[in-house]
Amino acid sequence: FSCSDTSDVETIKLAHSLDVNHSVHKAMVKMGEDLAEISGGKMQLEIYPSQQLGTERECIELLQIGSLDMTKVSVGVMENFAPRMKVFGLPYLFRDRAHAFEVLDGPIGQELLDEGTKYWIKGMCYYDAGSRSFYTKDKPINSPEDLKGLKIRVMESVTAMDMVKSLGGSPTPISWGELYTSLQQGVVDGAENNPPSFYLSRHYEVCKYYSLDEHTVLPDVLIIGTHVWDRLSEQQKKWLQQAVDQSVSYQRELWAEAEKEALEEVQKAGVTVVRPDKSSFANDVEGVYEAYSKDDDMKDLINRIKNN
Amino acid sequence: MDYIPILVLVLSFVGLLSIGTPVAWSISISSVLTMLVSIPALPAFTTVSQRMGTGLDSFALLAIPFFILSGQLMNKGGIAHRLIAFAKTLVGSLPGGLALINVIGAMLMGAIAGSAMASASAMGSILGPEMEKEGYSKEFGAAVNITSATTGLIIPPSNVLIVYSLASGGVSIAALFLAGYIPGIITGLFLMLVAMFWAKKKKYKLGKRSSLKDVFKTFIDAVPSLFLLIIVIGGIVTGIFTATEASAIAVLYTLILGFAYKEISFKTLPQILLDSASTTAVVMLLIGASMSMSWVMSFENIPQSISASLLAISDNPIIILLIINLILLFVGIFMDMTPAVLIFTPIFLPVVEGLGMDPIQFGIIMVLNLCIGLCTPPVGSVLFVGVGVAETTIQKVMKPLLPLFLAMVVALFLVTYFPQLTLWLPSVFNL
Amino acid sequence: MRKKIDKILGNLLIVIMGVMVVNVIWQVFTRFVVGTPSSFTDELARYLMIWLGILGAAYVSGRNMHVAIDVLPQKASNKTQKYLKLVVYVLIILFALFAMVIGGCRLVYITYVLDQQSPALQIPLAFVYLAIPVSGLLIIYYKISDIINIE
Ligand code: NA
Ligand code: NA
Repeated sequence: FSCSDTSDVETIKLAHSLDVNHSVHKAMVKMGEDLAEISGGKMQLEIYPSQQLGTERECIELLQIGSLDMTKVSVGVMENFAPRMKVFGLPYLFRDRAHAFEVLDGPIGQELLDEGTKYWIKGMCYYDAGSRSFYTKDKPINSPEDLKGLKIRVMESVTAMDMVKSLGGSPTPISWGELYTSLQQGVVDGAENNPPSFYLSRHYEVCKYYSLDEHTVLPDVLIIGTHVWDRLSEQQKKWLQQAVDQSVSYQRELWAEAEKEALEEVQKAGVTVVRPDKSSFANDVEGVYEAYSKDDDMKDLINRIKNN
Repeated sequence: MDYIPILVLVLSFVGLLSIGTPVAWSISISSVLTMLVSIPALPAFTTVSQRMGTGLDSFALLAIPFFILSGQLMNKGGIAHRLIAFAKTLVGSLPGGLALINVIGAMLMGAIAGSAMASASAMGSILGPEMEKEGYSKEFGAAVNITSATTGLIIPPSNVLIVYSLASGGVSIAALFLAGYIPGIITGLFLMLVAMFWAKKKKYKLGKRSSLKDVFKTFIDAVPSLFLLIIVIGGIVTGIFTATEASAIAVLYTLILGFAYKEISFKTLPQILLDSASTTAVVMLLIGASMSMSWVMSFENIPQSISASLLAISDNPIIILLIINLILLFVGIFMDMTPAVLIFTPIFLPVVEGLGMDPIQFGIIMVLNLCIGLCTPPVGSVLFVGVGVAETTIQKVMKPLLPLFLAMVVALFLVTYFPQLTLWLPSVFNL
Repeated sequence: MRKKIDKILGNLLIVIMGVMVVNVIWQVFTRFVVGTPSSFTDELARYLMIWLGILGAAYVSGRNMHVAIDVLPQKASNKTQKYLKLVVYVLIILFALFAMVIGGCRLVYITYVLDQQSPALQIPLAFVYLAIPVSGLLIIYYKISDIINIE
């Protein structure tokens, strides 16, 4: 219709649910710039931030439907599309951050990214989303005992609910949007998330204790619909993958800064940050792993990750 | 930028509306046509379907059917009657007493129900005949009833504020609810003033002064009904339940009360459920359809271009707010409230936020503004209900409506230019 | 036939509405009285809401309850009015056919073959979206019968 459409510029439409100040959005903006540069202007990226085109789950569906090209979701949301991604929901799966990066950047990470293709979506990379920890209104969580009887908001994910249950809390699924008022009004006693989300959501205004037990590492995944991927030429695929890869290392730097800043800011706002002994938590979550004791495939995957 | 999508959207929407296509279908069809500009047919059709479905996929939306249902139960369950009787003993002897009762009754009804139409039909059918008996003109009674019924949309709980919260991307419902009290009460007071002057001018008869004993007796009668107010707002503010859950508790409470007063039975209940379900469905289809429209607007970057051109007119916040208010008043003349909120929130909210306005204040401004539209022809659901129960015509009711509109516009401008009126109460509760 | 469909659809809506109320009250009850919040009520409520809204749309269409702005049509002659009504019905049928039935079926198909499960209840999401093509078919039926009986 208009002049620009007739030229052979391939525009990739990418939607996500995060705010424009988030490290992932900034990394995507850089990815767009890189893509235009690498391809000599033949490819460009159009980004729709802030859940404009739908929630994470809905955006995946739009990729499958074919009206959207790319999106970014938490692996927690991927569970319902690529079941083996559930593995990331398991608490204390990774020894530390370095171990997590090693697995994600290695063959296991790639294997899980490719898993989605049978569901018409293809993972392109992982973005860092840190580790999740508990934040609470009335008292710090120094050991699983402290969670007893507390209503903790969790994502709508079976693994997340099992995890909180095995630590002694009552998992309560509440949508992220309703969480601020729910915390404030005491509908729930606490929630769990990574430091930047705790900070940006302003939940620290209500929850004055942040206990860094770092129970799960749930990275974000950038995915593309196979509708689009299969349509791209080999050359275009290469350009896109290169721009994506360049954004990953950039985002990890931004994330590390964001995490540091978030912890400083919440402490300035009067939040007590505690670092409990993780081993007591790790012992209590064995039950979550038992749920997979009969699933040989998952058991194998867990062992491969642990021995990586 | 590309003008084709905007043109397709606007022209098809206006065209469809003008040949009499129901609003929800007009929204849906013009959205799908706009999608077809840049998305292949099959994905476009599937996307519309997905937006219709997921547009309703929100726990907060659930409050709408529940407040509609509890409103119906209040009407049928004798709760409305008891509230009116109480209001009557309070102000019945003042000039325009019955009109004042109407306003206060509507505000009380509004404080426990989420819909203006329920209040307009209840008040109109109960008070209308009494007003005529006392020598009031039918049209004046209807005009007061129509305008005062809309205060229930600003005074919480309010379905339309829930819709706004959804359209704005999650402004706290509890905060919006608290923000609505003062503007709602101000509007009510202004309406009462106008009604008093009008009644004095027309020399309507004064009612009997009620004895303290009567006041007390009707108050005791109304206590269980008034208690619902405490349950709903108290429950939300103290965190026993969320706004959505409060609406379900309201259903349970009105149901029990209706059974206790023996005005509702297991025989009449299914019809009440069905009526509420159909009223809900009308709203829900509008919401689902609007979700397709706002999706395609985002996809084509339409809100950004509109707000850019709006901000280009002037950078004076007072002027921009004035323009937005005039646009909304104009929109309200032709469009019902729910679709208007759904369509214009994503367009105007970024503009006013850019001016530093709190989204809570803007929500109240928008609703207050569109409340006026609910009482104007050609599209005004509350107007239709009010005229219908009073058995008069739209033309005749226009004359007494005009001064009442003026009262509403004054309230609107106060709320627009004095943010404290909306933001003070939520800040007291730290929301 | 039409009356029978109305009746069935109406009863279905009554049941959905009733279950919705009980479900949310149960949610408050499990959290405050039992102490262990139920994990499925939120999701169930939202899915019932989708069914209520979408099926309700068909029911309401059958009763012509959807709000329209009929300024222009009212001023037109009887014949033009009839003609405009016909155009509106046909447009609604086309929308119901292409977007709701075809688009809806494709959506159900995609969520079904790609095995998408709901997070808490673990039911196929196809069931949730099934409401759309079903409602589309009912709307087509109602509107065709309206065209046949146009006065
Ligand atoms: Na209200
Ligand atoms: Na109007």
